[in-house]
Amino acid sequence: MSTKLKLSGADMLMRALHDEGVDLIFGYPGGAALHIYDALFRQDKIEHILVRHEQGATHAADGYARATGKPGVVLVTSGPGATNAITGIATAFMDSIPMVVISGQVASHLIGTDAFQETDMIGISRPVVKHSYCVFDANEIPKIVKEAFHVATTGRPGPVVIDIPKDMTAPDNLFEYEYPKKVNIRSYNPPVEPDINQIERAVTELLIANRPVIYAGGGAIASNAEEELFRLNEILDAPVTNTLMGLGIYPATHHRFLGMLGMHGTYQANMAMHNADLIIAIGARFDDRITNNPSKFSPGAKIIHLDVDHSSVSKIIEANIAVFGQVKNSLSAIIKLLETKLDQYNKDKLQPWHEQIKNWKSTHGLNYELYKNESDENPILPQAVVQHVYNITEGKAYVTSDVGQHQMFAAQYYHFDEPRKWINSGSMGTMGFGLPAAMGVKFAFPNEEVLCITGEGSIQMCIQELSTCLQYNLPIKIININNEALGMVKQWQDMNYGGRHSQSTYQNSLPDFVKLAESYGHVGIKVEKNSELKPALEKAFSMKDRLVFVDVYVDPAEHVYPMLIANHSLEDMWLSKDKKT
Amino acid sequence: MIKRKLTLIMENKPGALVRVVGLFHQRGYNIESLHVDPVVDFTPYKFIENELETKFKDNEISRLTIQTLVSDSLMRQILRQLNKLIDVIAVSNEETTYLKGVLLDENLL
Ligand SMILES: Cc1ncc(C[n+]2csc(CCOP(=O)(O)OP(=O)(O)O)c2C)c(N)n1
Ligand SMILES: [Mg+2]
Repeated sequence: MSTKLKLSGADMLMRALHDEGVDLIFGYPGGAALHIYDALFRQDKIEHILVRHEQGATHAADGYARATGKPGVVLVTSGPGATNAITGIATAFMDSIPMVVISGQVASHLIGTDAFQETDMIGISRPVVKHSYCVFDANEIPKIVKEAFHVATTGRPGPVVIDIPKDMTAPDNLFEYEYPKKVNIRSYNPPVEPDINQIERAVTELLIANRPVIYAGGGAIASNAEEELFRLNEILDAPVTNTLMGLGIYPATHHRFLGMLGMHGTYQANMAMHNADLIIAIGARFDDRITNNPSKFSPGAKIIHLDVDHSSVSKIIEANIAVFGQVKNSLSAIIKLLETKLDQYNKDKLQPWHEQIKNWKSTHGLNYELYKNESDENPILPQAVVQHVYNITEGKAYVTSDVGQHQMFAAQYYHFDEPRKWINSGSMGTMGFGLPAAMGVKFAFPNEEVLCITGEGSIQMCIQELSTCLQYNLPIKIININNEALGMVKQWQDMNYGGRHSQSTYQNSLPDFVKLAESYGHVGIKVEKNSELKPALEKAFSMKDRLVFVDVYVDPAEHVYPMLIANHSLEDMWLSKDKKT
Repeated sequence: MIKRKLTLIMENKPGALVRVVGLFHQRGYNIESLHVDPVVDFTPYKFIENELETKFKDNEISRLTIQTLVSDSLMRQILRQLNKLIDVIAVSNEETTYLKGVLLDENLL
């Protein structure tokens, strides 16, 4: 006789999450989720982190997912809990991050009656989820959880919402619990292995290219393809550029690394892309911050495009060779075939191309040693702050960021040698992401250095999470690049709107961040002079068990360069306030 | 811009239709007309059953036809976006059919 376990919907949900391997969830309780919160209380397998705002929960789960590769899990209540989670869900969606969001919903008999805290979560989240489920039959909870994790983590990853009406989790309705061992969604079948014909065509092009560029993005990180990418380039010896989302997938300190490309990419990366005869796009999607004007994009290049998502290929830039599949598998297939043809390939023919790139780099490359020329006569340069942070952490930290100039400086000047260490909201550009994302990373890797490079604008969008950091004792380091302005907005106003700073400064209304950090129970340090900068940062990083908020006042006039000139090609860049290519 | 007809075979699940309609709005494609019916006769879709190693049951799938005004260049993108929706099993225009990621070069729906 089978004696199957009988559980309530809420207990089944907890069991299912545990059986799925979840041990950490981020959330915030409320009426429609209270049965679930009671079930959470009565178990000890899953730890719940109480954030201070549901947006914080989604970003924390997102940071956890980006750093570990495992799906982040969020639990929120109906109505305002659900809507507060939307920004974080959209952020994860736009960057293809695996996440499962469980939202409470009013009881099923109340749906459609404008009940207290009722909102159509399935409807409101639809454009920003990979898929969603509403539970209409509590029996289905285990199956739905299994499917949700499968959909969130396979193919092109993304967030999945499970909306659960309150009556589905009622304590006195018991069901036989069994967690499905396998998932089979007949209408969902993302590609894994590439088509061998396309691999052959790709290899043929790779063998004959004279000016190849490897352009790798977030999809390569999602596919854990760092070893394959490295091996491929041991054979090819081509220059490599990464997107903002792809930083770390190829070692930044490798001599073939060009730096980031695109809007604020390095001169040599953008020039190489424009002048290439072959572009190998790996899990990257030719976003408008990369291509500039698509009709002027890299006129002489053939495009090989490796991606798991059919709809990303030939969407903006037509691919000559499309390779669908997990990019890790596609790269393996390319390597395998290339290795049989090594006699047909001679690295030396790329020498003129490497010379050209070296030239570009030496004329207009970034200066990575700005910190060497500091004096108290000059204001602190934001770029130099990042350089110090890189030196002190020996390039080994997990770095989260927010959105604005500080984010671009972090991307340009912190060299990431490993994937999953640079954690930022690339596609949505969500201010407020950095601090909660850093919490998620710190929960995943408590013994690693985790820091957040932020701006005084962005940090105020989720500042409440400093309280969560105290509750769970998270010794994150926050580097606030304080230019007393919405710097990136101000930069655009300087460049395109005659310097009219419409609503981009705060008229002396900023809080005292040192006192603010202290009132949350943390350490605050203020830095206003170059001579204080390095000692202050060293002190902050030496406090291993404290959250330290370093508030660095930098030159408010600094701009981020290079910057692509809108609607032109990748060759057309501003190199400084008064110089363009 | 020419008027094109798309045919979809999809799971008859709550929210499936609105995902398709929502996608048109979200991506800026327009809908000239739309028609949806439950599939009762599965014989034309035997090849799908074979390909996906499944057996359709009554009321499980719907057939949706949409007329849309689009340029040629957008057509493939629309097909691929629709094919990506989890509840969509197959989608075709006059020339091609996408069956869960597999591109078949004729209209089979
Ligand atoms: C939630 C949100 N609102 C508005 C914007 C538009 N925006 C982009 S950068 C920026 C300024 C950010 O200021 P700060 O965090 O101080 O960074 P800085 O550019 O000064 O380094 C703004 C307002 C955004 N990206 N996100
Ligand atoms: Mg600022």
